[in-house]
Amino acid sequence: METKQFVVIGIAIALVIAVAAPFLASGDPDGLESAFFSIYGAKPFMGSELDEDAAGAAEEQAIVTTGNDFSYEALMPDYSIPGMDKAGEVVAVVLGTLLMLVLVFAVAKVSARPDN
Amino acid sequence: MHIPDAFIPMGQALIYWVIALIFIVLALRWARRSMGEEKIPLVAVLAAGIFAIQALNIPIPWGTSGHMVGAALAAIVLGSPFAGVFVLTLVLLVQGIIFGDGGITVMGANIVNMGVIGGFIGYYGYTAIKRVIGNAYAAAFIAAWAALFVSAILCAVELAIAGTFPLIPGLTMMGTYHAVIGLIEGGITAGALYLIASARPDILEHPAGVSA
Repeated sequence: METKQFVVIGIAIALVIAVAAPFLASGDPDGLESAFFSIYGAKPFMGSELDEDAAGAAEEQAIVTTGNDFSYEALMPDYSIPGMDKAGEVVAVVLGTLLMLVLVFAVAKVSARPDN
Repeated sequence: MHIPDAFIPMGQALIYWVIALIFIVLALRWARRSMGEEKIPLVAVLAAGIFAIQALNIPIPWGTSGHMVGAALAAIVLGSPFAGVFVLTLVLLVQGIIFGDGGITVMGANIVNMGVIGGFIGYYGYTAIKRVIGNAYAAAFIAAWAALFVSAILCAVELAIAGTFPLIPGLTMMGTYHAVIGLIEGGITAGALYLIASARPDILEHPAGVSA
């Protein structure tokens, strides 16, 4: 397969995943969050019931423990656009995917071995 | 497995940043020496695909979910552990800055855990296992599983040093959840490698990765 064709198909697959992800993705805590909530008593280790109040308290407790209260307002927090629902999530993940494509192409272009 | 800012004290977070920067410099040196210009589009497409698939959280038991990391895949396809560092550093940068996924002060730790560990265990695991069992896809599955599992174990150790997780419960829980999430990493890595190798068989013929 030609590189050009390979790249076009690759971009198409990435965009299909980006559009589908917000509809298919599980909203459950990921492995690290789940371990964190379990350790702080907001969720059983091998169970699925999450106590939202205890989860919030756990996050406060982590800041007290580490003293790291750095906070930062991301442009599209949690792969969403504030004020928009699912459509915002699709736009966010698609924009992120396209941004990756452009950013990595640019960084790779600058840092790649020049062909003589 | 993206650590948020609150989980690691600032001083320790800076140490992980220093370690990460050393590997980023080494990854840039790898790029200058070994990443030919013909690989640029492939690297960009791989990074975009890895970003997209990272947004797809797949449910596992125990009210938990997990997603692909992708450093092992990048390292295997491009033929160097530093390819995993190169791609994951940029993925984590965009995720942290634009999407608030993974902290800013702790980004170094996330780059070490997912990019460095993922890239090195993924690449060297793949080449070693492939030599022993001969099947590239089985080797990719096992190496990617191990890459994700070891990343999670290191993450638990870092959080124990940070005081956020007690060591043994942290290792037990992170290990259990990520032993399962690793199956997702292994499956997608082997599947993606199959698709890429079907389109470009030269990738598997030359262990140094795709050439043109």
